[in-house]
Amino acid sequence: MSLTEGIRAKAGELLESGVVECVIGYERGTDGVNARPAFVYSTDEVDRLIFDDTCSHNLVKYLLNRKGKTTAVVAKPCDARGVNLLLNEHQIEREKVHVIGVVCPGVVDSAWGSKGDKLRAVCEVCRQHVPPVYDHLVGDVPASEPEVPEPYADIEKMEGMSVAERAAFWEAEFSRCIRCYACRQACPGCYCVECFVERLHPLWVGIRIGPGENQMWNAMRAFHLAGRCIGCNQCEKVCPVNIPLSLLNRKLEKEAWELFHFRAGMAPDTAAPFATFEKDEKVGIGE
Amino acid sequence: MSGYITKEEVHRWLDGLRQSRDVVAPVKVDDLILFRRVDRVEEIAFDFANTDLSPKEFLLPATETLFRVEKRDGSVELVPRDIQRETVIFGIRPCDAKGMAALDLPYLEEPADGFYRQRREMTALVGLSCRTACAECFCTSMGTGPQDSSCVDVMLTEVDGGYLVELVTEKGRGLLPESMLSQKDAPAPAPPDVQQVPSAGMAEKLRQVFDDSYWGRLADRCLHCNVCSYVCPTCYCFDIRDYEESGVVNRVRSWESCQSPGFTKIAGGHDPRADKGSRLRQRFAHKLVYFPEHFGVMHCVGCGRCVRKCPVNIDIREVMRNVQQLSGGSDGG
Repeated sequence: MSLTEGIRAKAGELLESGVVECVIGYERGTDGVNARPAFVYSTDEVDRLIFDDTCSHNLVKYLLNRKGKTTAVVAKPCDARGVNLLLNEHQIEREKVHVIGVVCPGVVDSAWGSKGDKLRAVCEVCRQHVPPVYDHLVGDVPASEPEVPEPYADIEKMEGMSVAERAAFWEAEFSRCIRCYACRQACPGCYCVECFVERLHPLWVGIRIGPGENQMWNAMRAFHLAGRCIGCNQCEKVCPVNIPLSLLNRKLEKEAWELFHFRAGMAPDTAAPFATFEKDEKVGIGE
Repeated sequence: MSGYITKEEVHRWLDGLRQSRDVVAPVKVDDLILFRRVDRVEEIAFDFANTDLSPKEFLLPATETLFRVEKRDGSVELVPRDIQRETVIFGIRPCDAKGMAALDLPYLEEPADGFYRQRREMTALVGLSCRTACAECFCTSMGTGPQDSSCVDVMLTEVDGGYLVELVTEKGRGLLPESMLSQKDAPAPAPPDVQQVPSAGMAEKLRQVFDDSYWGRLADRCLHCNVCSYVCPTCYCFDIRDYEESGVVNRVRSWESCQSPGFTKIAGGHDPRADKGSRLRQRFAHKLVYFPEHFGVMHCVGCGRCVRKCPVNIDIREVMRNVQQLSGGSDGG
């Protein structure tokens, strides 16, 4: 059974039996090539659902719009880490959510109307092809998860730059930011009722779309995801001006791993380092 | 007036223009093509389908300080912003030029927006007609087309070795002296085929299906980012704030989008467009109903940027096709 057939069968079953009111999956988009998110509410719609290597969206974000409503969601491993993140942060109820996990071979970097021939960079360094949480699994479980010898080669390269070089690099990247907030809107970890960037009292960041505010916005958002980022890299994917946001998020992911041996979203009951404090932990802070 | 100019002469001409004014043109920035002020003609990208962002920021900057208020010797003074330099936008596509004409309607309607008008008057447009149609564009259904010269000052159409030139306006004739043109017996290339969308009768139809459940279902997928508004050549909403910095108050205007969650939130916390469906419907209703009813033209030029850049494939062409097919009227469920 193909992944698509497996998803359709499960979606139909869940809707038919009334376990869920809605299945969030993927369907083919209007360019005829790439997938897009699809919301299916009845059994006669399940044949719209597909799964292939263009299914690069993290659909877990949408669970935040369906709080309290029974929902099934198709989740790749990185997406499923988002489920754990939201469970851990008490944003969703486990019994309302049915996770259709997909054994993921990786998805490709696509442009509008054309399918990429290379895996997304984030997939190249992915160490988990089986979702860490699911209610139903589609696909064949591999014998072992891949070893990635150098998962942070790009980060180490950035770390090797001088402070002045890094500042110049990010200044140039952030200069293109138009503050459309697509990064935030696509991120399952960004769900504040009032984002700091829209807060008036106190006014943390002004409305200017310009150098200072752009840097403030992007840096602050990255810090808010420190130890919480699940590495789905939606932020970078949706950016209309190609800002390499993964460098920020993966740098912080690397720090969280080195300091706390923690990777967000691997379990539903493990809190992010910033949400816990142990008296005897020093882990390099102030040493 | 029409004529011909070689590519070398275009370089020379632009280099000359640069002495007296800002030249803004498509430039390759990493993997993107963006309009930028250019210091050297060599920076200009001549071979591109269309730019990733529209050039509207040169009439309506993403952020501008409108004026500042200073205290001087006990009195309060309002200091207008610096006058802009004359600017030529080179390489604008017909759709984006049409987009600027659409921006003119709300901004130049009396009482005109003085800040916008000042920029507009100091800006000349040199159009570059389209040799190919983008896969996602639909300009001919929205009142323009790949060779439409109606909204530029000078129109260039690429032919072998150079460009056919149309001096469209007085401003254009002032920009490119006829003496630089020669006559060449080169036929204008046939315009590329552009896909059609069913835009006719859109306003009436969309009003009929205003309360349809369609909008809520469409909004299921929408992330409510501002990408569509910010890449759009015609979206023109803004926010204004005053910032006090070191004893000086700056009044700042920045782009804003009807898609952002707090856009219509008013004092007391009420939000007339609180749900996602009504927010998303607003974008299409403004473009296809309210603006046409008020100004007589569509508020979409069919450039297709929102189609290409939407992270979740909310596709205005599909929306128009769907709206035309909805039963209309009574379906509220």
